[in-house]
Amino acid sequence: MADHPTASWQAMQNGNVFYRQQRLYTLDGKLPSLGDCIVAGCRNGGPLALMRDSTKIIAIGSATSTFAKSQIQVYSPSGEGLLLFGWDQAKIIRFGWTGDERLVVLNEEGVYRLYDLQGDYTQFSLGTDAGEVGITDARIHENGLVALTGSLQLLEVKGWEGGKSLTLANPNLSQPPAVWTLIPPDLTISRHVEVLLSVEASIVSVDNLEAVDQRLSRGPFTHLAPSPNGKSLALLTVTGLLWVVSTDFQRGLAEFDTTSVAGAEGLVRQVEWCGNDAILVTWDALVLLVGPFGDTLQYFYAGPTFAVTEVDGVRVIGPDTSDFIQKVPASSVSVFRPGSASPSAILFDAWENFNNRSPKADENIRSIKPDLAAAVDEVIDAAGQEWEPTWQRRLLSVRRKLGKSFLDLYNSTDFVNMGKTLKVLNAVRQFEVGIPITHFQYNYLSPTHLISRLTSRNLHLLALHISYFLSLSPDDVLKHWASAKITKSKPISSGTANDTDMTGDEEVSRAIVEKFEKLGGASVSYAEIAKKAWEVGRTRLATMLLDHEPRASDQVPLLLMMKEDRLALQKAVDSGDTDLVYHVLLQLYNRLPLGVFFRLIEDGGSSLAPASRLLQVYAREQNPEMLRDFYYSDDRRVESAVLCLEEARRMKATKVTSIKAAQKFFSEDKERSFEAKMMDEYSRLLAIQQTLEKETTDKIEFFGLSIDETIKKCLLMACPNALTSSSRNSKFWYLKLHALTATRDFEGLETFSRSKRSPIGYEAFVRHLVEKGHAKEAVSYVQRCDAHKRIDLYVECGEWVMAGKECKERGDRARLECLDQIASTMK
Amino acid sequence: MTTSSSSSGPHQRRPSVETVDVSILREVARSSLVHALNSVNGAKTLVLDPSLAGPLSLVTEVSLLQQHGVDKMFWLEPGPLSAVTTNILYLCRPRIKWVKIISDQIKRHSSESQKHTYTLLLVPRTSTLMTRLLEEEGVLGDITISSYNLQFIPIADDVVSLENTEAFKEIWVDGDETSIFDSSQALHTLQKLFGLFPRIIGKGDFAGRLADLLARQTTQRTSADRESLLDISDKFDSLIVIDRRVDMITPLLTQLTYEGLIDEVIHIQNSHIEVPASLLNAPTNTSAASSASTPPAPALAQEKKRKHHLSASTDPIFAELRDLNFASVGKRLNKAARRLDEDYRARHQASVSQLRDFVGKLGGLQAEHRALQLHTGLSEIIMPITRSEIFNKSLEIQQNLLASYDIPGQLTALEDLIAQGADMQLVFRLVCLASITSGGIKSKTLEVIKKEVLQAYGYSHLPLLLSLAAPPLAILLPNPLPPSTPAAVAGAKYPYTSLRRSLRLLIDGNESLDELENDISYHSAVQCVAQKGGVLSNPAKSKEGVTEEDGKKGKLTLLGQTQAHPIIGFKGFEDVVESIAGRTFDITQKGVEVTNGASTALLPTSAGGRTTTTVVFFLGGCTYTEIAALRWAGRQTQGRNFLIATTGMVSGGSMIESISGVGGADVNLKEANL
Repeated sequence: MADHPTASWQAMQNGNVFYRQQRLYTLDGKLPSLGDCIVAGCRNGGPLALMRDSTKIIAIGSATSTFAKSQIQVYSPSGEGLLLFGWDQAKIIRFGWTGDERLVVLNEEGVYRLYDLQGDYTQFSLGTDAGEVGITDARIHENGLVALTGSLQLLEVKGWEGGKSLTLANPNLSQPPAVWTLIPPDLTISRHVEVLLSVEASIVSVDNLEAVDQRLSRGPFTHLAPSPNGKSLALLTVTGLLWVVSTDFQRGLAEFDTTSVAGAEGLVRQVEWCGNDAILVTWDALVLLVGPFGDTLQYFYAGPTFAVTEVDGVRVIGPDTSDFIQKVPASSVSVFRPGSASPSAILFDAWENFNNRSPKADENIRSIKPDLAAAVDEVIDAAGQEWEPTWQRRLLSVRRKLGKSFLDLYNSTDFVNMGKTLKVLNAVRQFEVGIPITHFQYNYLSPTHLISRLTSRNLHLLALHISYFLSLSPDDVLKHWASAKITKSKPISSGTANDTDMTGDEEVSRAIVEKFEKLGGASVSYAEIAKKAWEVGRTRLATMLLDHEPRASDQVPLLLMMKEDRLALQKAVDSGDTDLVYHVLLQLYNRLPLGVFFRLIEDGGSSLAPASRLLQVYAREQNPEMLRDFYYSDDRRVESAVLCLEEARRMKATKVTSIKAAQKFFSEDKERSFEAKMMDEYSRLLAIQQTLEKETTDKIEFFGLSIDETIKKCLLMACPNALTSSSRNSKFWYLKLHALTATRDFEGLETFSRSKRSPIGYEAFVRHLVEKGHAKEAVSYVQRCDAHKRIDLYVECGEWVMAGKECKERGDRARLECLDQIASTMK
Repeated sequence: MTTSSSSSGPHQRRPSVETVDVSILREVARSSLVHALNSVNGAKTLVLDPSLAGPLSLVTEVSLLQQHGVDKMFWLEPGPLSAVTTNILYLCRPRIKWVKIISDQIKRHSSESQKHTYTLLLVPRTSTLMTRLLEEEGVLGDITISSYNLQFIPIADDVVSLENTEAFKEIWVDGDETSIFDSSQALHTLQKLFGLFPRIIGKGDFAGRLADLLARQTTQRTSADRESLLDISDKFDSLIVIDRRVDMITPLLTQLTYEGLIDEVIHIQNSHIEVPASLLNAPTNTSAASSASTPPAPALAQEKKRKHHLSASTDPIFAELRDLNFASVGKRLNKAARRLDEDYRARHQASVSQLRDFVGKLGGLQAEHRALQLHTGLSEIIMPITRSEIFNKSLEIQQNLLASYDIPGQLTALEDLIAQGADMQLVFRLVCLASITSGGIKSKTLEVIKKEVLQAYGYSHLPLLLSLAAPPLAILLPNPLPPSTPAAVAGAKYPYTSLRRSLRLLIDGNESLDELENDISYHSAVQCVAQKGGVLSNPAKSKEGVTEEDGKKGKLTLLGQTQAHPIIGFKGFEDVVESIAGRTFDITQKGVEVTNGASTALLPTSAGGRTTTTVVFFLGGCTYTEIAALRWAGRQTQGRNFLIATTGMVSGGSMIESISGVGGADVNLKEANL
């Protein structure tokens, strides 16, 4: 039977707080000596990456062969080798882990690669500038990195999608900082990354806006470590003083002199946090835990160690063992603390008595009856904190045996979930899997995250089982499995003969489709897998898989890559996503000869019509030349003509030529004789306007006006012109009326009105004059209007008396009274 | 999951949940703007696409931008940009023309060796096109591109709009279907908030495309991750999608409601109108009235004009007036004035407590006073125009055309209007109207009219005439069609006369309506025709047909009301609906196997007494009159509300203007010359 949980506890602060050292795995020298290596550990029970520290001298021995070339080794926390790869690029500056367990390796040329646990990588660069000045150092956090360039500038990369690097504020360094660190963006107040540099005796904090000298005097520092919650910072001075301050540098929180520690030899290796209130300082063989009040706990190891800060504790990897040190969670303390009188402790006691068939059990339970539900909850929580399955089971059985019988109404969801979770946790903690994740971390990261970590280790079966066990969608697992399958099957199928290649493809495709359909992953995207297949050079397999993809929008990019242009365009159009259509169009436009490109679109007929129209929209703004060619190649005369007209509208200088061109296009289409005629008229009008402008010695602008406007302008300007002989009589009358009114030439208007009988009548005169505010002048025309309208027109002119007279003449009594009424209200 | 479960939660199912609360959309838009702003740290210069200023001002105010680090704002326009902050933030729609401007500014900065960090926020989503163009310009490396997903903006309690005024032109003239896709995304957002539409009904080819996209999106999302499974909504009973092409008549008519006329005359842009400052003179009225949010325009304020936000929620008088026929607005204003006067007079009542009450009400009274002043002023602006000869003549032509009365005569009258120098847009509206209602204009006459138009307004309008005649729009056609006409055009012909008869779109003897001033149908006496939209759509809309018919047509009204509950699609109108060109569709959406049995049972009609909401989406824009008519229809029926969604507010004028592509420039020029 496993030791009692408290066996690994050690008290601090007068026995109020306990820390425990949980042995995770026995390593037995599976790892190379950590003292000779540069190590990067992934959080949340992730793997370790090691590279030989070339600054250190090591003895040539049996183990050195692995160090011969520049290479990086990745080990699981249980000491199993996961990955080993060589490095043939420029010198590695730094490597570290992303949140999803990919290894970031950055070299001095500013190139960084992201390796997954299968050794596949994607490569990005910090930009050419960075490459020129060189990178001297970097800090990597889970969602980005900050690099220090040779010119002592800081470059930030956000996320791992290869985004552009941003320059942070200039820290104005004269020499590289003694030591530096960063606070990840999710922990700072500004939500942007903050870099802390130790410069001389002080710290300079830098973000993308400004660099602030915090004006400290205790430096220089040899170690800086921000706490897991980003609120405090641990600094170690050259004199060995450990000093904790808040990250805004407003409050000093604690101080501790590390030189006085017995057994501490040599230099401090690491300063790491354990939770948010204790700090772990490591020497070659000693690990010292410093509590908030300066009390310490010591742990001894046989050789150099490496510590990885976790959200709820710290992992220490020594030569022989891999341990987890954490503050004992409250629920465990409550249940197990010697002498604890909490309800949960009594409950646990009762359970032991119950097992021993002692009547005290009943007595115990009665004494805590009011708190029983809470106690049960606490015991269940404590079960989650335990590492040993035996103890987990015991704690859970407390609730099973006692809780159920003594509690009438109890929601067992927590209990069931805890049972499930522990089953999952125990499975992944297995040495073969080697993910020593705690219950807290598991909740923090979500089950899906855990599953993706399993798949990235190619543990598909386990991942699938867990997915089903937790009723999660198996899609991701299946997807990963399929791409792994494709990659793995490559060497076999891409063998010598063509036949084997074919059968290989079909087999793989069938296997994948079958599995997907069987396991209910009907919604799995085949496009991603097809892409994978295409990437490894198996186009045929890719096509086969792509046929199964239900989502058009996912197929398109791959189809494009596979040069299935026509199909890609068709799918893009079907998806209704115009952006996708543009994506295809622009890509094809760049890649294909123009003629082929046009033919592709034209041949598509009505099904590709939307694409064709989008192309026109784009080209009209950006590339009129192309559009002209396009219309020309397709004999679209009307569109060509319209294009010419648009040009005419834009460019005055070439207007006449453009119009002529348009006219030509229209005349080539016998359906468009009307338009051609209009264009002909247009160019004649423009010619007349040009003459007019010449006649007026360019003082008056006619060019581009419409016919009516031209005539009116002529009238307004009193140009003696032949235009007045316009055939369109009534229109001319309106124009002249408007023009004369506008120039207030009322005499002229009078003469004009008498020049011959008005084809528009005289009412129009009255109304227009009134509208323009010349009611007085309007009156004289009323008499010439139709008799029955005169009354109203007089009223419009404000001539009440005349209106009255008119009434009288016509003998319209009712109307007169009505007028009288209105007139009186007006007064 | 959360959205769906909350909307299907039992507590939500009270009948008291009358309307769908669309203000949540504003919150969503706001918070995503804040998020987008915060993604750039520190002070920033905002460069804004002018076409977004209006929509943004409905969502946020300048102070919010300032709180989130916006230091200065500029319009996105050609010319150098002088920014003092390091961060420059461009906020624009993905239009090709912007790329040139942006890249010029960036290049200028780098040639002057100014160092800036550029971020481009595209509305509503990032675009490959923009990326590619920026790359061609060689500035892609300098700029970070992300998106600000601005979707539906509530412009009234029951109206949400994408505020994209170009949508109609893009779809029917350019063939750019981007706004269909964006609309489907926005409608999907609605579904995410309130649950799936149990049923999607609609008419029109593009409407059909939208419905397909929406349905596909729903199934895809659902399968992609199970977290986001959607339940059938218990608030919506259906979505009705109408594409604008199906009812071109309504926008071509002059709107006669108060709000519609304001739009026709003064132009409402993103719920804002520009009015002489004197109408809003109380300088102290900071209360939401003056839109402070117009960013510092490069000083162009010729004569003192100010922007005013027309909103029924802050302006009770406007709420009362907006859907009335303009003819009765005067009376209503008079009444309001008298009431106000009485309220003011209350202060003469001596008792101290009464006086205290009065003082308490004073703020409200003053606000009302100001509102009254504004609306009186607006009416004064509109009144002379409604009295003008051209306006009345055009109304007469419209009515006669709708009644198919003496069409050649109307065309002659139309020629007269051209001779009198009527507004270009008006002329185009009437020509198109004539073509639609009479199934095409006689080729000879049409040619004469086209010639007149070109001579009067300039030959440069020829492309506009061609666009109007070309498919898929095809609203200006000769009769008979030339033999070579593509089938698409021939098929798009509008069977107006038979529609009018079968759907009783027109009320006989609308003179009598003048007396029924309380009847809403009054406001749209003319527009009613317009609502052939009603025709097409479904009970909801056919009720609308009914709407216009006014109460006298007993049996039809009855029909309308019995149909209020079940949305039965086009039942009973199939033949008629089929006679209109374009696809007719009726899709039933199924939610996930619903967990709580209750919600399966709630096919919209059940659960007696519960009020459900029907979403009516106008693809290509809708008019204020249509909103008024739907509101009326909503009031006539128990148990159903309408939520109007649209790509933007349009009027015939704005549609013609956007198709002609010249903007208002030509028109203004003309007016100036008059």
